[in-house]
Amino acid sequence: MKSRFDAFFKQRARELARFTSRRGFLSALGTTLLGIGAMPLLPIARAAMSKPGEPDASTPQGDDTACEYWRYCALDGFIAACCGGDAHTCPPGTEMSPVAWVGTCRNPADGKNYVVSYNDCCGKTFCQQCFCNRNEGDRPVYYASKSNDVNWCMGRAGIVYNSTVSIVIGVEP
Amino acid sequence: MRHLLALALMSASTIAIAARDARFDYQMECQGCHAADGGGTVASVPSLKDHVGKFLDVPGGREFLAQVPGAAQAPLDDTALAQVLNFILREIGHADGFAPYTADEVARLRRTPLTNVAATRAALVREIEQRSSAPQPPIVGRQR
Repeated sequence: MKSRFDAFFKQRARELARFTSRRGFLSALGTTLLGIGAMPLLPIARAAMSKPGEPDASTPQGDDTACEYWRYCALDGFIAACCGGDAHTCPPGTEMSPVAWVGTCRNPADGKNYVVSYNDCCGKTFCQQCFCNRNEGDRPVYYASKSNDVNWCMGRAGIVYNSTVSIVIGVEP
Repeated sequence: MRHLLALALMSASTIAIAARDARFDYQMECQGCHAADGGGTVASVPSLKDHVGKFLDVPGGREFLAQVPGAAQAPLDDTALAQVLNFILREIGHADGFAPYTADEVARLRRTPLTNVAATRAALVREIEQRSSAPQPPIVGRQR
């Protein structure tokens, strides 16, 4: 009984060795492992991971102190990130305007149009760092709610304009 | 029966798309001043939050919401404006049981501009306050 059992498995093992290649197995295993590792890099997987209204964190978004940064497509003023704040935080000692103008900017990393709120930082004099004047989607001042020439610090106690942040508030459907 | 089911599914998806677009239109055309939660700004931008629906309870209030310059002059077509108004009432004002605005109604109303917005609004707010015996949340601005 034992010898028949041994003979059966010896025969199967020899067949396996004869008809399969060890390199082929290693190659297939390597491809599978690499494939599993590469899954999160696929655009669908990345889109699934990002929260609605927020750009995908794993995609390169650029330098938020550069005027060319994608979120600044309609900015007109000093970049808050150069003045002690960041793309969505006002510099210390300033207060964010509660009113703002809102537009969309295309994030080249994922090709989506995000809804961006341009809020001015108010209460300290001009930052005078990184002046940026991109006017994509800007409208004349007589169309005030879509104009970046308006001082959006209006109505605040400290009406003095310092700089501007670009807050992502949504994504275009 | 299968056709009915397909029709129902299509209607549901159309409503879902309309709701999504209304949120986008709110973000693009209203949120800059009225804020994400509709809270507005103290002493300058009226709050919509929780009580914008009270305007529907007084004569002229329903007309006012579509005629107020921020609505009537928004760069939205009549259908989109009707959907944004319904979105604001439902999602921000938390109003229920109201007849939704239609594109035809909005088209008619927005072509009749208000000549004195502040006075019209003040009269409507007085009417709302008189009709309600309970203390009201602030109609203008947000308390901090």
